Amino acid sequence: MATLVQPADEPRRPNIASADIQLPAVTSYEQVDNEILSILKPTKAWFGGLLIALACLGLGIFSWGYQIHQGLGVAGYNPPVMWGVYIITFVFWVGIGHAGTLISAILYLFRAGFRTTIYRAAEAMTVFAVMTAGLFPIIHIGRPWKFFWLIPYPNWRLLWPNFKSPLVWDVFAITTYLTISTTFLFVGLIPDIAVLRDRETNPIRKKLLGFLSFGWRNSEREWRHFARAYLFLAAFSTPLVLSVHSVVSFDFAMGIVPGWHTTIFPPYFVAGAIFSGFAMVWTIIIPMRRWFGLKHYVTLNHLDASAKMVLFTSLVVGCAYIVEFFIAWYGGIPYEQDYFWNRVFGQWWWAAWIMLTCNMILPLSLFSQKLRRNPAWLFILSIFINIGMWFERFVIVVPSLSHDVNPWQWSSYVPTWVDYGLLIGSFGWFFMWFLLFVKQLPIMALAEIKEIVPPKMKKAHSHHGGH
Amino acid sequence: MMRGMIGVFHELDSTVDTIEELKHKGLGKLTAYSPTPRHELEHAIDPPPSGVRKFTLFGALAGVTFGYWLSIWGSMYWPLVVGGKAIATWLPYTVFGFEVMVMVGALSTVFGMFFLAGIPRLTDTVGYDPRFSHGHFGVWCECAPDKLAEVEAVMRRHGAVEVRGER
Repeated sequence: MATLVQPADEPRRPNIASADIQLPAVTSYEQVDNEILSILKPTKAWFGGLLIALACLGLGIFSWGYQIHQGLGVAGYNPPVMWGVYIITFVFWVGIGHAGTLISAILYLFRAGFRTTIYRAAEAMTVFAVMTAGLFPIIHIGRPWKFFWLIPYPNWRLLWPNFKSPLVWDVFAITTYLTISTTFLFVGLIPDIAVLRDRETNPIRKKLLGFLSFGWRNSEREWRHFARAYLFLAAFSTPLVLSVHSVVSFDFAMGIVPGWHTTIFPPYFVAGAIFSGFAMVWTIIIPMRRWFGLKHYVTLNHLDASAKMVLFTSLVVGCAYIVEFFIAWYGGIPYEQDYFWNRVFGQWWWAAWIMLTCNMILPLSLFSQKLRRNPAWLFILSIFINIGMWFERFVIVVPSLSHDVNPWQWSSYVPTWVDYGLLIGSFGWFFMWFLLFVKQLPIMALAEIKEIVPPKMKKAHSHHGGH
Repeated sequence: MMRGMIGVFHELDSTVDTIEELKHKGLGKLTAYSPTPRHELEHAIDPPPSGVRKFTLFGALAGVTFGYWLSIWGSMYWPLVVGGKAIATWLPYTVFGFEVMVMVGALSTVFGMFFLAGIPRLTDTVGYDPRFSHGHFGVWCECAPDKLAEVEAVMRRHGAVEVRGER
């Protein structure tokens, strides 16, 4: 267990104002570059992690290859449960991808200072999570080589795009989200790639970094337009974050299936996505701050502030769970009532209780400041939340389809090794990209961290003081 | 051909003082460098507001128009007729209008930033020092050859750690 004793340079602050989080142990611009860029050197542990990720990915590739060869029947689908692990995992990874843009865009607009040191990792996580999510509709369709039929462009194959279908909305929403989150990540990286370029001694790498940084020179003119563009990108991304998971929720809410056909789905899905995304940020950031010696960048104050965000979204999600039960009872529709009873006390009780325990009960511990400032607990909690949020999607997808409005077709669903192989493979794919990113590009935004470090001044009490 | 004097500074206030004096004396065209955006430098240079917003507005309007047009045109050209339902209807098509607005608006914003900031710049390294991305501030003053000595004197007086002429 991590100690609760505070580092000497980090005074305990009972009430953390999220907009006023400083880095007292970081005193110069040079220190920022030296410390953050020092983690780019690969270590044995990093190679070990990459090997595990590649092994998981290999299992996923094998499972997918087997499924393509044998047909979709080797997955655990059993009519009427024709959405299973693949759609659950798709929604799970789209949700994970939400924290990145939330942290980089929404918290930027709200001037929440605790985002500064974690947003780059969260943005990279977003891009890789959406890349992972995007694979699953392709895997799910069984004939992946025809995936482009999903794209609703006019054609002469008698495929008529139905623009009133949520599945077509989904294609637009996910494509836009992947494009914009990648753009956001890359634009933010340009000044940092210029830092790498200016320190690089290998001429080939220097040329490559010069190309990737577009010849960025840190001039006032560049910064002025950069800051304005970044603001507008944040303004675009903010409603985008809210829209994407709303659209994903319409995939369910537009269907006349018990447990799905409800108007609370969009806010419920968005809150759940932010909740799970923050948990994944912790899963990544907490080991990183320990292994890479970055505790004075991601301080306990930062973790404390992000824990409040997790607590808040957990309460929203918990409220949504309760409202679902209430509406089922109050609506007086027997199929809804029976479905919700079956979800919690019947066939799927174990999945529902994993969900409720991990997402609703355990996060209540964050009302304690001691636990909010305990990285070991936050890491453990993040694992529980990741599991709980995967099971939330399981509980939404499987119990509804297996217990719909036609009692004669009630059935069950058991995933096969192929499903599990692809689920594990998705983690391998995600972490492979993330680990490669960590060793190629700065995992923290150098330019933005420098903004909160006081610049050197000739005059001690100059009117040009830092802002 | 560009010709001028470049000064490298440790301190932000020295950089600001240098810019203010060079600007006051009208010695040349100034460019300030800093490892991170500093509003003090922006105030000292006092540039016009960024025009990125025009690209954003144009891109967003073009995007929302295209999103609605695509969905309405697609529905009319390949009609899926359902009794009692309109073939094209604005409410669900708002999803397309919104998503395409965000996509085109954001990409147009980035294009605007590149265009206005003068990047990509692949070859021009005159008036730049790698220290500007690390921890130092800088001032590049593009001026006539007879003003170089005076520019150098101003930079040195304000504490530049290095001053050199470039062309």
